[in-house]
Amino acid sequence: MKHYTSNFLFCLAFSLTITVFSFDIKAESILIKNVTILDGINNEPFVGNVLIDGDRIKRVSSSNLQGDFVIDASGKILTPGIIATDTEIGIVEIGALSVTRDDSGKMYKIGFSIFDAFNPNSTLIPWNRSNGITSTLTLPQNTSSPIGGLGSYFVLDSKLQVTGLRDMVMIGRVGGSSNRSRAEHFAQIEDLLILAKSLTKSDISSDLELSDLIDDWSVSDAMNLHPRDLRALYELVNNNLPLIMKSNRASDLLKLIELKNKYNLNMIIMGAQEAGLVAEEIAKSQIPLIINPINNIPGSFDELASNINMAQRLEEAGVKLMFNAPRDHNYHLIRQGAGVAVANGMSYAGAIKALTSTPADTFGISGKGTIEPGKIADLIIWDADPLEPSSMPDYVFINGENIDLTTRSSRLRDRYTKKLNEPVTYRN
Amino acid sequence: MTNSKKISFVLFVCFFSTLLRSEREPFESTYIALPAEKILIQNANVYDGDGNEFSNTDILVQDGKIVAIGTDLPATDDFKIIDASNKWVTPGIIDIHSHMGVYPAPGVSTSSDGNEATSPVTADVWAEHSIWVQDPQYALALTGGVTSFHILPGSANLIGGRGVTVKNLQRNTINSMKFPDAPHSLKMACGENPKRVYGNRGQAPSTRMGNAAGYRKSWIQAESYLRKLVEYEEKSDEAKELEYAPRRDLEMETLAGVLKGEILVHNHCYRAEEMATMIDIAKEFNYKITAFHHGVEAYKIADLLAENGICAALWADWWGFKHEAYDMVQANIAIVDQARNGTGCAIVHSDDAIGIQHLNQEASKALSAGLRAGFDISKARAMKWITSNPAKAAGIYDRTGSLKVGKNADVVVWSKNPFSVYALAEKVIIDGAIAYDRQENILPASDFDIGIISPNRNRIDE
Repeated sequence: MKHYTSNFLFCLAFSLTITVFSFDIKAESILIKNVTILDGINNEPFVGNVLIDGDRIKRVSSSNLQGDFVIDASGKILTPGIIATDTEIGIVEIGALSVTRDDSGKMYKIGFSIFDAFNPNSTLIPWNRSNGITSTLTLPQNTSSPIGGLGSYFVLDSKLQVTGLRDMVMIGRVGGSSNRSRAEHFAQIEDLLILAKSLTKSDISSDLELSDLIDDWSVSDAMNLHPRDLRALYELVNNNLPLIMKSNRASDLLKLIELKNKYNLNMIIMGAQEAGLVAEEIAKSQIPLIINPINNIPGSFDELASNINMAQRLEEAGVKLMFNAPRDHNYHLIRQGAGVAVANGMSYAGAIKALTSTPADTFGISGKGTIEPGKIADLIIWDADPLEPSSMPDYVFINGENIDLTTRSSRLRDRYTKKLNEPVTYRN
Repeated sequence: MTNSKKISFVLFVCFFSTLLRSEREPFESTYIALPAEKILIQNANVYDGDGNEFSNTDILVQDGKIVAIGTDLPATDDFKIIDASNKWVTPGIIDIHSHMGVYPAPGVSTSSDGNEATSPVTADVWAEHSIWVQDPQYALALTGGVTSFHILPGSANLIGGRGVTVKNLQRNTINSMKFPDAPHSLKMACGENPKRVYGNRGQAPSTRMGNAAGYRKSWIQAESYLRKLVEYEEKSDEAKELEYAPRRDLEMETLAGVLKGEILVHNHCYRAEEMATMIDIAKEFNYKITAFHHGVEAYKIADLLAENGICAALWADWWGFKHEAYDMVQANIAIVDQARNGTGCAIVHSDDAIGIQHLNQEASKALSAGLRAGFDISKARAMKWITSNPAKAAGIYDRTGSLKVGKNADVVVWSKNPFSVYALAEKVIIDGAIAYDRQENILPASDFDIGIISPNRNRIDE
């Protein structure tokens, strides 16, 4: 845990602006009674009671507890709120409408940040939240640099005062492309890392200093980098900034393991469609993976070994797993992916962890991802098994607050199924 | 006309139309099923695809057909027994919207053959002529219980060309995969895609009104072409000898096929008002729309669809990738199904090589959303959304899409109730032969799949 704590502290330090989790104290405590608890830690589900006080989980117990507001959740299932690790929530409203997209930059390559674009009123937030996602790692599009672009963490509480962690991951990508060899990607990454290693604290405190350095180094000069880009590189190699590399081919994954070890990077690999071929090596490297367990399509020549048993194989080898779902807008479909992973051999507890505690641990999101006293009360009461896509939350709590599950979609549904004798536009 | 004259005339017409037919129907199916097996499935829980659920039921398969359904069916020793106690049996799953083969995997430019985006009306192109038979995705769909699917051209064009229905058995020619005697279809597309593709090039259509004008102009041409054909056909033999038959026109042959009711219209259309406009255009030119595809707003006009006997082929939850896909309601499929006292025709489609492997899960999501919206829909009825309803929309319901004596034995044995995410297709039977068996490791591999990573293995075994 030490590693993650320091990582979190780094995030605090790195982020010039940071909005910490809301600490509003609620006057009333909430007791969730007789619920089957999947705590994100233990393997065995157990029936118990959970007391929420303010924004925290106060007690988890099999004995009776008292609360001001009581929810009898017999037959229901309680999990930590799901943390989605690969989304565009808050920065893309409609995929094909570029004016509603804030996921790519033009001027900055490595230091491009999406944090200031986040829209707490996006319709994607109530929708994904009503399906069990309580917070998200929102990532930009890849830039023209093989490493670069900064993602941020957001709590899906819809508060205009954004709750989250700024610029807490960097992304990157290596693999087949239509315009140049992957060998050049790797070479460029190494050149950037060597440059990053050479930067000193005093360098990064001065824009003028950095501009001179950019001219001096061939890689930064050729890429037309800016001081902002170099500062992000500095954070990457000096402050353990998580680096999410998108890559699929087995040989590329091994090369990334080499890079991680050589430059002591805090690396996560995303996609990793051929990870099954190098499962032992990945396990040994302790690189966590973000995979889409439902994707068995050999979608490119980098993904020929795609296989529906990937999650099972990687889990068996001891690889830490998280899930993503590339379909537009429905990031909650990581639940369905997790269900498919279990149907194809992954452990149920492992799949629950992949949605909750593993992302919290990996990205140093303190106080989240498990159901334990003292943790932040991001909780879901499910009407049935959360890995069945037919199941839905009955209740969603974020920071201890019972969130209204109405969505634009549920409003539209009601409009066309209720009060049908009234003209449509005068219905609710 | 005397009787003998009548008879000779009828004979002549038959002979002539046979000639015409062989001339007009090239690329006929040469499909041959796998060697038929004798199979007895015992003690199964069954969703029959027609809305019924049975428990403890046997299904007898012979010569490629379902020959009996009942309890304690007798069978001789030469029948292969499948014990389906605690398992579930359904008809083979059918996807009415697939681009496998025309957008195969790997997704590379050299085999991206689904959109002839060079002109807004390309009724002359046939999706089947783009199909890559070695697409590794067919076998993956088979592991999800899919026994037939309908391959369409893409949606770049107002009128994108003919679609084709195939059996999910990989073969080394296209014709040998084609579902025998399945009707041809025509892909049409509303909305953003055609107007974006052509509008960006500064040509028509660049607006939705441009789209509507484009369809109507094409149908006016088709009407005139068909009139000429009919006029020629009605002429006496002597008159016919004095002139040439109207010159064939590939584009017009397809459109005239629609007007004659021989080719089924499958119309990509998201918005409610655009679907309503398309219904008006169909009435103007007296053709039928078999199904709207994608229809994210179908729930807004569910009654209109039911009244006009039009199916809606829909996703359970896709939305937001385009403006016209913004108003998603998860109960869409259920609302369409329940329209006009349950006379609506709802289909769950995939349009996706991953989704096609899990259509049962997509149906499960749609069903649960329907129940939450207050509808009373059984699982047996929801099973129609991925079996008999798509079979009807593809024009193959007389032969597949439900478990009925005399129909093709396209059958799936599931490990659990198929509305659960944990259910796996264990055995998939196509025309009475086991095409996939999870336990016995029977799974086809395309040429693409073999030796492509390790020379001595198949891709799926890596």
